[in-house]
Amino acid sequence: MADGISRRGFLGTAAVAGGLAAAGAASGCASDTSGPKAKPSGQGPAEVFTTPTRKLKGSLTILMWSHFVPRHDTWFDKFAADWGKRVGVSVRVDHINTVDVPRRAASEIQSGHGHDLIQHIAPLSQYEPSVLDMADVAQEATRRWGQQLELCRKSSYNPNTRKFYAYCPGWAPDPGDYRKSMWQKVGLPNGPGSYDDLLRGAAEIKRTTGIPCGIGLSPETDTNMAMRALMWSFGASEQDADERVVINSDAAVAAVDFMARLWKQAETSEVFSWTPASNNQALIAGRSSYILNSISAWRTAQATNAAIGDDIFFVPALRGPKAALAAQHVIQQWIIPKYSPNADAAKEFLLHYTANFASASYYSKLYDFPGWPSLVPQLDGWLDKDPWGARPANKLALLKTAVSWSANIGYPGPSNPAVGEIFNTNVLPTMFARAARGQVTAKQAVAEASGQVNAVFANWRARKLVGG
Amino acid sequence: MSAAESSGRARKVRLSDREGFLAWAMLLPSVVYIVALVGVPFLLAIAFAFSDVTTGDPSYHFVGLRNFRAIFHDGVFWQALGNTLLFTAASMALIVVFGKILANILVADFQGKWFVRFLVLLPWTTPVALSSISWLWFLDSIYSPVDWTLRRLGLLHGNVIWLGHSGTAMLSVVFVQAWRLTPLAAVIVMAGLVAIPRDLDEAARVDGAGYWRRMFEVTIPLTLPVIAVAALFGAIMTFTDMTVPYVLTRGGPTHATDVLASWAYFRGIEGGDVGQGAAIALFLFPILLAAAIAVLRAVRRLGLR
Repeated sequence: MADGISRRGFLGTAAVAGGLAAAGAASGCASDTSGPKAKPSGQGPAEVFTTPTRKLKGSLTILMWSHFVPRHDTWFDKFAADWGKRVGVSVRVDHINTVDVPRRAASEIQSGHGHDLIQHIAPLSQYEPSVLDMADVAQEATRRWGQQLELCRKSSYNPNTRKFYAYCPGWAPDPGDYRKSMWQKVGLPNGPGSYDDLLRGAAEIKRTTGIPCGIGLSPETDTNMAMRALMWSFGASEQDADERVVINSDAAVAAVDFMARLWKQAETSEVFSWTPASNNQALIAGRSSYILNSISAWRTAQATNAAIGDDIFFVPALRGPKAALAAQHVIQQWIIPKYSPNADAAKEFLLHYTANFASASYYSKLYDFPGWPSLVPQLDGWLDKDPWGARPANKLALLKTAVSWSANIGYPGPSNPAVGEIFNTNVLPTMFARAARGQVTAKQAVAEASGQVNAVFANWRARKLVGG
Repeated sequence: MSAAESSGRARKVRLSDREGFLAWAMLLPSVVYIVALVGVPFLLAIAFAFSDVTTGDPSYHFVGLRNFRAIFHDGVFWQALGNTLLFTAASMALIVVFGKILANILVADFQGKWFVRFLVLLPWTTPVALSSISWLWFLDSIYSPVDWTLRRLGLLHGNVIWLGHSGTAMLSVVFVQAWRLTPLAAVIVMAGLVAIPRDLDEAARVDGAGYWRRMFEVTIPLTLPVIAVAALFGAIMTFTDMTVPYVLTRGGPTHATDVLASWAYFRGIEGGDVGQGAAIALFLFPILLAAAIAVLRAVRRLGLR
């Protein structure tokens, strides 16, 4: 074809466009689309380099997620390449959609070939038999930077096998995101502080404006987080601290009953169909008064719709009858498969990355929080005066206390493989959704889920990876 | 020319003349492909179904029927089985009806026929993940253009929320699956339609048979074996498919659209229990075997006609 678009060109363009669209749809939370256009008000932190304790050579391949904040990946790739040049290791970083990481990790571990270092943002406890014990890295990090956060430790350490199946240097909090202008009209300008406030305020907003609350009830990640936060705040959990199944309780029934009332009074059926990106989209579109999510939805609004971005504010975990707890939104998991011939380089890189976690926090636009708090002494200052243009500048100040109201998946026990399977097969979202729809009573829903949870725990106990 | 060269050429001529050798040489790539990508995974699935293999621990330990006992005690498994049968039967019915109608359109003579054929085949040629994501947006709870159009036409107030109710969610996955597979059925049926001798149709016309009478007493009886093949292909491809339910609903709401293939995936890959996932997937085998035998018999009957 002499002019216009050739058939090959057309198909190529369509495939690329389709691929990008598919990647966007399949990714979990909303990606921050501001990208490199957004300018920080200050300079990034100075980076440090510590000479490795042993001579390194060869190569290091890293598989990790495409961060919801693209600027982070731009920084990370250069950071990793620069380290490789200094220590004489050829470094390659492959970013893929976060939902594809577990599948890719599974296939690489099954085949015994693949990346030297794999990172994911949810617990990878089921891979314990096939990965290196990271105790030496975790202990060295603790020696250098003090106590590791409990939620990070519980998301990477198996107390039954006494093995660090992963290394966890960072996490992201999961606050409540609300539209101030809507909550002002129902007498709660600072947003809901408790689940009672949420029910009363969100029901009133829906009644007067038709705009519903946006807590999901579908088989997806954000619903899993939200339902756990609700259960913990009502005094219920899947397991206790010793990994015994305790879900079948009055507290769990009360939590399920509360969610059914919240759905009936303040939500619509759309929450049964949501993907992880849906609550972000609803908030940014002005179709939701409150969601539970990381700060990425707001960062997106900051760049794409400043009026709505300025109207989005945050609240910490809501108070329930027993506690005020939220799940972590993202938990960093770094694993080194046993097949890796470059484990030394991988461990040294992880220590170097951890030492520079201030840069990870900064370039992720305060999305990533450190697992060793002493690593980022600037964090509170940044949260008081956001370097990425929040209006008001202290919008994120409440996150200074995020550690006190955040918990790991599996709380009050560790993030073990049974909890992982329950999370990934959406047992809890289904329990809440069935009661909300009126398919079963709250008590029946909890009893059904209890049967499934017990079966999953028994299965993993037989493999000696879960206690109780 | 040396004696060795002439003997070599004679051997080559003899090899290329041997039909048996040629047949195997040409079949070999397909056989290798099927053995490597179908046979080996199938045998692995059988082995895994009787093991405690997980995504994180490939070491093999025989556990007998433990995985099967576990899935039979799981209510979601039985719900997924029922959903699979409903999903397959409803999709197949739509695929056959729309496939026949489309085939009639495709064999008719009219201007722009090639463009219409291109449009009709588009759903089949589009990668299923991509087309399913497009449908996910079409059926979005907030931005659905389907709802927007219905609202503009005055047929709807508010949003339907297609994927948020059990009934409309199943309707949606069935519709999208039918939309995707109808072109294949149409092409198969079209091949049957063009094979009908024209004189039969003309004789029926001369005898005064109208369109509908010719359709039901000439065309459909003569193309019935081909329609059966199209239906069974559609059934097999629907029974084993998880892409449409996985992308549109991830099996929700409350497992209302979970099918055996998607539940096997959730349990085996996302949940990490490869043994149970394989046991669920293996449950498809006897039903698929029966369907495959039916396809082969239909094809044989077609050949005898």
